[in-house]
Amino acid sequence: MLVIRPVRPADLPALERLAGSATPRLTNLPAHRDRLEERIARSQRAFTAEVEVPGDEHYTFVLDDLARGEVAGTATIRAQAGAREAYYTYRQETLIHASQQLDVRREVPTLSLSHEVSEATLLCALSLDARYTGTSAESLLRRARLMFIAQYPERFAAILAMAFPGYLDEQGESPFWNSVGRHFFVRDYQEINYLAGVRSKSFIAEVMPQFPLYLALLTRQARAAIGREHPDHEPALTEMLAEGFLRSRHVDIFDAGPVIKGERERLASFRRAAWHPVRIRPAHALPDAEPAMVANQRLGDFRCVVARYALSPTGQLMLSPAHAERLGVEEGRAVLVAPLALSGGGDGSVDAHDPGYDEGEL
Amino acid sequence: MRIRAIAEGDLDELQALARETGVGFTSLPDNRDFLAAKIASTLAAFEERTPQDQRLYFFVLEDEASGRLAGCCAIEGQVGREIPFYHYRLGTLAHSSVQLDLHRTIDTLFLSSDHTGDAEVASLFLRPEYRGTDRRHERNGALLSMVRWLFLAEFRDRFPDKVLAEMRGVFDDQGRSPFWECLGSHFFPLDFAEADKLTGLGQKSFIGELMPKFPIYTPFLSEAARACIGQVHEHTRPALAMLKKQGLRWEGYIDIFDGGPTVEAYIDDVRGVRLSRRCRVEVKAGSLEHTPRPRWLAATTGMAGFCAAWLGRGPDAAGVVTLDEAEAHRLEVASGDTLRILDTEEEA
Repeated sequence: MLVIRPVRPADLPALERLAGSATPRLTNLPAHRDRLEERIARSQRAFTAEVEVPGDEHYTFVLDDLARGEVAGTATIRAQAGAREAYYTYRQETLIHASQQLDVRREVPTLSLSHEVSEATLLCALSLDARYTGTSAESLLRRARLMFIAQYPERFAAILAMAFPGYLDEQGESPFWNSVGRHFFVRDYQEINYLAGVRSKSFIAEVMPQFPLYLALLTRQARAAIGREHPDHEPALTEMLAEGFLRSRHVDIFDAGPVIKGERERLASFRRAAWHPVRIRPAHALPDAEPAMVANQRLGDFRCVVARYALSPTGQLMLSPAHAERLGVEEGRAVLVAPLALSGGGDGSVDAHDPGYDEGEL
Repeated sequence: MRIRAIAEGDLDELQALARETGVGFTSLPDNRDFLAAKIASTLAAFEERTPQDQRLYFFVLEDEASGRLAGCCAIEGQVGREIPFYHYRLGTLAHSSVQLDLHRTIDTLFLSSDHTGDAEVASLFLRPEYRGTDRRHERNGALLSMVRWLFLAEFRDRFPDKVLAEMRGVFDDQGRSPFWECLGSHFFPLDFAEADKLTGLGQKSFIGELMPKFPIYTPFLSEAARACIGQVHEHTRPALAMLKKQGLRWEGYIDIFDGGPTVEAYIDDVRGVRLSRRCRVEVKAGSLEHTPRPRWLAATTGMAGFCAAWLGRGPDAAGVVTLDEAEAHRLEVASGDTLRILDTEEEA
C-alpha cells in the first residue's frame, strides 16, 4: 500500500537517492546531504508550527511504499515561493513599437526579470522512483499536496504556482542558458543549477542581467525553448493543466521552463473535494468505485492514500480496515475525498495555439 | 583651391557630389529638394536670419581652375534641438558575486541623447580625383577638415561648449553593416540604406519609435557585430586620425545603425581653435615663395563672404602675414585686412 506522509529524519537516505535520480536534476532538490537534512528539519518545524498567514514554511512529503518498505517519492510545498528572498522568473512581455512615419506597428517580445511569483505558494521538488512513473502513485504524490492545502487554507496563498523543468537538448544542455545566463556566469547549466539548489536561486538571480532581454537577440534554439517543458515532465504538466492550472507569462530564469499558476478555488481537486464520515468494511465487501485521494484531518500526521470512492447510501465513505489504519482514522471520523481522475484531462481543453496566459496578476 | 560658403548656384554640383558619397554618408543624400533646402538653410545661417540652434554652416571646396566643386564640409550649430539625436553609449556593468567567485564586466549599449545641444562637424567629402596619391601634397582633405576650427574660433560665441563628429562605421565588401544586420534589422522594417537615407533627410522620428529603449548587453550580439563597435570604415581612418590629432576623443558613443564612433571635445580645447590667431594682412605685388607642402591655413574674419585657403607662408614676429596677389585675390583681402591663421604643424 502507498501512503503520503510528512518526511521524517529516517528518510534522509531515501531523499538522497531521489534527489540523485531526478531527471533533470531539480534546483529545489539538490543531491546534497546537509541541504536535505535541513530540508527535513525545516519541514518538521513547518508541520508543528502555528501558522496564521503563509510565510517561510516548507512542507515536504514522501510517498511511502509500505509493501516494499521504502520511500518511493518526495514532493514539497513552499508556503511562499519567495518568503525571505524574492522568487525570480522571467516574464514574457510584448512591447509595441509603432512608427507613424513609416506606418508600421511591430510587436517586440522581451523577457523581464520579475519577482511577482514570490507571493504564490509553490509546489516543487517532486521526484519519483522511475518504477512508479505513470501509475496512480505519481498522481497521488503530485496532488496529495492539494489535499493538504485544502485543509489548511490559512497556511497557503490563494494562488498556487509550479515551475516545470525546461527543455534540454540531447547533450543535457539548456539552449536557453547557453544563450542567456552563460554570458554572465561562464558556467554550464548543470553547474549553476546545482549551485542554485545548494545556495539559493534568488541570490544568483540578483546577479542576472537586470534589464529586459530582447528575444530577437537570443539564438533561435533559445527562443524555441522559452516556456517549453522537459519532455520527461510533459505528462505532469498536462495533468496539472487539467487540474485547472494555467500557463503564465513566467518562465524559469535558467532554462526558461514554464511556470504555471492556479487559483486555488478553481482547481478541480479543491472544487470536487468533499468531507465524508468513515465507515469501515472488510476489503472483499467493498463495492467497485472510481479511485480517489483520501486524506485524514491531521496536520503533523497527515496521510493521504488512493482508495475506492465507495459511498454508503447515507454518504459515508466505505474504507477497508487497512486503509483506515494507514490513515489513522476510526469509524465515524471525517476524511477529505477527491476523485483521482480529472475530467477533460489533457483532451484539448487547453488549446495548443492559445498559451492560456493569465492577465498578469501572478 | 579655396573654401567658401555654399551658394545658390552650387546646386547641380552639390547633387553631383551627393551621388558620389554612397552608403553610410548620411548627411548628403542624393535628393535635389533636400539639397536645395540645405543651401537655403546655409544662406540663412550665414546671414544670421535663423536662430543659433538651427544654423547649418555648409562649406564647399572650390577648384578655381575648373570652377568645379572638389568637396564639402559643414558645421551644425546645435544638434538635437529640432530633430532628436540618438547614440548608443557603450558602458560597462560590473557583474560580480563573491559567493560565486564571479567578477565580470559586461559591455552594454545604452540609448542616449547626451549630445543634444552640441555642435557637430560633419559632411566632409572630397571627390576621389582630388585625393589620390598624386594630389596628396595639396592637402585638400586637411583644408576641409581644419577650416571648421578656424570658423569655430572666429565665431566662438555662436557655438556651444562641445563639438562632436560622427564617423562612418564598418561595412563589408557587399556594403552591408554587420552591426545593423545583428541589431537594427530586428527592429526596423527597412534595410540599412533606406534607414540611412531617411536619417539623412532628417526624418528621424522612426528611430525613437522603433529603436529598442532598454540597454543591449553586447554578449547577445554576434562577434562580427561586436567587432564593429567604435570602429570606422577603412576609408574613414584618415579623417578620424585628423580629428584625433585636433584633440577629439572617442568617449564610448556610437552610431545606432552602423556602430561607428562619435568623437568629441570641448571646443575651447580643440587644437585648431586654441592655436589659430588673427594676423594683419600685407599684400605684395607679384608672386612670393611657398612652402613646399601647405602648412599655413588662413580664413577670413567676416561671416559674409567667409573663405579660407592655404597660404605659402606664416606671419612674421610682429603678427603680420604677407600675401602675394594670387593669394589676396583668392581670399578677397587687401592690405590692412585681418586673417585668422593656423600653423597646422605647430606642436600643441
